[in-house]
Amino acid sequence: MNQLIQSLVDALSAGATLGLAALAIGLVFGVIRLANFAQGEIITASGYSIIFTWQLGWYVAIPIAILIGVILSLLMELGVFSRMRTATPATLLVASFGLSFLLQRVYELLFSNNVQTAPVAPELAQSVDVGGIRIQLLSVATIVIAGVLLFALIQFLNKSIWGLQLQAAAADFRTARLVGIPASRVIGLSFALSGILAAAVAFVSTVQTGAVGPTFGVPIVILALIGAVIGGIDKIYGALAGGFLVGFATSMLASWLPSDMSNFRDAYVFLLVIIVLIIRPSGLLVSGGTVRT
Amino acid sequence: MPSGDLGLVVRGLSVAYAGVPAVRGVDLDVPAGHAIGLIGPNGAGKSSTLLAIMGAIPHQGTVKVNGEDVDGLAPEKVVRRGISLVPEGRHVFAGLSVKDNLRLGGVGRRSQDGSADTLDYVLGLFPILAEFRDRQAGLLSGGQQQQLAIGRALMADPDILMLDEPSLGLSPTAVDTVFDALATIRSAGKAVLVVEQRAEFTVAFCERTYVLHDGTITLTLKPEDATNVDVLTKAYFG
Ligand SMILES: Nc1ncnc2c1ncn2[C@@H]1O[C@H](COP(=O)(O)OP(=O)(O)OP(=O)(O)O)[C@@H](O)[C@H]1O
Ligand SMILES: [Mg+2]
Repeated sequence: MNQLIQSLVDALSAGATLGLAALAIGLVFGVIRLANFAQGEIITASGYSIIFTWQLGWYVAIPIAILIGVILSLLMELGVFSRMRTATPATLLVASFGLSFLLQRVYELLFSNNVQTAPVAPELAQSVDVGGIRIQLLSVATIVIAGVLLFALIQFLNKSIWGLQLQAAAADFRTARLVGIPASRVIGLSFALSGILAAAVAFVSTVQTGAVGPTFGVPIVILALIGAVIGGIDKIYGALAGGFLVGFATSMLASWLPSDMSNFRDAYVFLLVIIVLIIRPSGLLVSGGTVRT
Repeated sequence: MPSGDLGLVVRGLSVAYAGVPAVRGVDLDVPAGHAIGLIGPNGAGKSSTLLAIMGAIPHQGTVKVNGEDVDGLAPEKVVRRGISLVPEGRHVFAGLSVKDNLRLGGVGRRSQDGSADTLDYVLGLFPILAEFRDRQAGLLSGGQQQQLAIGRALMADPDILMLDEPSLGLSPTAVDTVFDALATIRSAGKAVLVVEQRAEFTVAFCERTYVLHDGTITLTLKPEDATNVDVLTKAYFG
């Protein structure tokens, strides 16, 4: 019982982290059909920034990490993707792979192949006793951070005129432009938001590991991308839910698989993904196989 | 600006898809206070013409809105010169509420001043939109969605309103609602360009109706031709 609750809280927190990462991918995909693999390198950049600036205080480190995430995300759009507007989603994906590897090499040159370490928010890296059950404080914090961020984002998307423009562009880009929604503005907005989400993911991940290397964001983005696809990448909330599911399932498998099998954890996740995609090619949460025109 | 310039003037408009011509040198005049029809068989190039006017697809030729050249502008810029398109198939934002669809229509306004008045005007024209303002647009009936699509276009406060097959798939009463609204919009001094399949009805409604065939305007009809539209078009196309 005790262990079940612990692993449940951990799984909720892993789900929340990957949900945010997948949402970042889904926001951009919804607008320009780009599954941005280099989202991982935005997470890495924010991660480095947190490691290097943490001693200045969280109130300095976190805003800087957000700023770095947003700036790098916008630079990717301006420097690379905005020049590929007529490219197919497949071409865009390949370009984002290229960008991802390029940035990993840049990080290697700048910060070496070794991980950079710093104790980030060590007070979160402990367990607390809740009615006789030991719970990771970081897991609770992650769930709270993700919850607050999601609430704010949903308010923004549903209530503000900018958020509505983003939703309209994600639903029907041509019609959005016909009613006067500026393409460049909503695209920039989607990249900026995904940069903020990347910083949040970087924060909870650096607290967990205390170390960032050139490929820090890669495993996160792989699972997030899988989650986004499972949930239905072209629906903003589909991506979120899919990311959550993958994070949740991965974490649950890690705690409940017999230890000699836990090396194959990811294989089980991928098996699950393949089954889902065979049954529901357009995503779990998308009704039918709608084709965009 | 001389009043003769008000409205839409199109000269030599051509569109090709992957080198295959779809619209070949179309000229159109849509003066303020007039409703002009554009009819023709499937694939004649009607939608392509409207999309090209909005700058949504590559094209050649000149498009003047209220005397101002809009060639080479992106659709979101063209809207801000005072022309709106109600696209074929309505394309309301199905996941958003009626109210939010109308709010989004206001994004294309030249000035945010007076947007509350425009909203009142739209809700007066289509009272059903006020009644269902919080409903998800995708849950509306076809006729209601068409009213919403027109309302959304009007929220940009255009001088020229273009509609692509607004009667498609609508019940006869819903068609009446739409065309009653178009008559009101026309009498308010706006220029209306309406693409339709139903030839006789359109010719009767509009001051002038162009017949588009294979990307070329082959015939211009007056309201008095309405009763023998079939005869005229048959004589022309065999
Ligand atoms: N995106 C596109 N790519 C390639 N060809 C196209 C495209 N859109 C239209 N066409 C072709 O251009 C021609 C004109 O099409 P358009 O949609 O403008 O006709 P239309 O008069 O609106 O027809 P309908 O009455 O069926 O709506 C057709 O031959 C069509 O097949
Ligand atoms: Mg058409």
